[in-house]
Amino acid sequence: MYGGDEVSAIVIDLGSHTCKAGYAGEDAPKAVFPSVVGSIDQVGAVEDIKPERDSESMSDSKNGIRSLDSEKTKTKRKLYVGSQALGYRRDHMEVISPIRDGIVVDWDIVDNIWDHAFRERLLIDPKEHPMLLAEPSSNIPQQRERAAELMFENYKVPALFLAKNAVLTSFASGRATSLVVDSGGGSTTVAAVHDGFVLQKAVSASPIGGEFLSECMMRSLESKGIVLKPRYSFKRKEIRPGEFLSIDLDFPNTTESYRLYCQKLIASDIKECVCRAPDTAYDDSGYANIPMTPYELPDGQTIEIGADRFKVPDILFNPSLVQTIPGMESFVDIAAGRGLPQMVIESINKCDVDIRRELFSSILLAGGTASMQQLKERLEKDLMEEAPQAARVKVLASGNATERRFSVWIGGSILASLGSFQQMWFSKAEYEEHGVSYIQRKCP
Amino acid sequence: MAMAFKMATMGMAVMEECKSSFMEMKTRRIHRYIVFKIDEGSRAVTVDKLGGPGEGYEDLAASLPADDCRYAVFDFDFVTVDNCQKSKIFFIAWSPSASRIRSKMLYATSKQGLRMVLDGVHYEVQATDPTEMGFDLILDRAK
Repeated sequence: MYGGDEVSAIVIDLGSHTCKAGYAGEDAPKAVFPSVVGSIDQVGAVEDIKPERDSESMSDSKNGIRSLDSEKTKTKRKLYVGSQALGYRRDHMEVISPIRDGIVVDWDIVDNIWDHAFRERLLIDPKEHPMLLAEPSSNIPQQRERAAELMFENYKVPALFLAKNAVLTSFASGRATSLVVDSGGGSTTVAAVHDGFVLQKAVSASPIGGEFLSECMMRSLESKGIVLKPRYSFKRKEIRPGEFLSIDLDFPNTTESYRLYCQKLIASDIKECVCRAPDTAYDDSGYANIPMTPYELPDGQTIEIGADRFKVPDILFNPSLVQTIPGMESFVDIAAGRGLPQMVIESINKCDVDIRRELFSSILLAGGTASMQQLKERLEKDLMEEAPQAARVKVLASGNATERRFSVWIGGSILASLGSFQQMWFSKAEYEEHGVSYIQRKCP
Repeated sequence: MAMAFKMATMGMAVMEECKSSFMEMKTRRIHRYIVFKIDEGSRAVTVDKLGGPGEGYEDLAASLPADDCRYAVFDFDFVTVDNCQKSKIFFIAWSPSASRIRSKMLYATSKQGLRMVLDGVHYEVQATDPTEMGFDLILDRAK
């Protein structure tokens, strides 16, 4: 057993959009940065180029992962991690994600993200802190073992625990049984939790998350002739006191993925500022004459947003709306998907009859996209209309936006700081004695 | 072993008084309800309050703090449609929204240890506000 009470544990929730990392026991993550990284292929370079790092000692521990990755030959590349490194435009820098459909496809990037969190953001030595990682509710065994191996071999952590996203959210709201609707950046997941266990058969996911909605917002604005200009692509000059002129700059070697990344940041901010879920299903005629809301773009230009304020969020409830947004027609699969209320009802119906009543009255809303105004009210209303008559529908969400957005991380933070949890750690000694597959027994 | 189960059974002690009070309630019927609380420092579940046989559901509801979690059991007497005198014991996990997340987490992960000791509970209710443990709801479940 690992006696982890003396040093505080580190909690990491690596989502498909944002990485949240910080100290256990605190009520918000210290470091919040993108889960995507910038990458420049080092063509023609012969030197062994290591990802940009401050600490020298890191290159030694890097060797561990190199051997793990030896099966696939990778082109040499330089990675840029963190909002600051990504905020600076570089020629030929592509923006890539380590996660696809909720599964890690590039562990080298994950390694770099963890390293960035430990050494540049939290300024800790991972050898000294137990680590609690939040994982997707239907994480597969191979992925869990890979994560454990990386943590023990590369970072020499003293102890590790993997906890499921939905379980953390559920416990953080005081419930051992609940239906967790986690709408994050990359996807929306609905999972039933019973007595602290995720019921795997009742987990469903949709690719509609904040990122997708931001893209819809951006395309819809483009179709109206509004181009979102990233900060790097223009210069503002003060022509008279208080009066600015923006001059376009040309950087032909900027990658398409980087431009899109920057545009989506703007679209995401627009979305967070002006969007709200409509009270009833969106239709063009009903929203044709609603008042416009102004928004000032980074280049100083003020745009007016009307029906899109409501139409974009409604995609969560009615994915087929995607087809009506110019430039998004190709997302046929997403458009054919189910809306949020249907996902919830289907998930609950896959559970045992005895617990359905309780699930209907304990629907927990979590994640960044769930902070959208009126989303909770709309979901509750739609569910009341569609749920069985006897069910008492209750959608719960923290009134505090930070708690809603970081519910998974906060759950992990509190869990790892409880005295009764300390016996739960998968220690380095146990790893060395039983091997990596023991993680499946220690963290079921 | 499931995480919460192990935390509740091995990381948290349930004081003997919890079991004995519950047995008194069940067999001798001298308590209408029992409120349990967790002492985080000593990592133990203890008895917070005992309700006399003359007290009612409102008294239990009034005994639960608005900003902290508790567990409670309530002995509910009622008469069925065919005029049968019945008694059912309810377990209530009280986690009001206004309580601290630490408290919610602690109570949610420690519940099973206490539940195992309380042999003879008929129904279980999770509640975050008074409406979720309303008398109508209890009545509805007991039928």
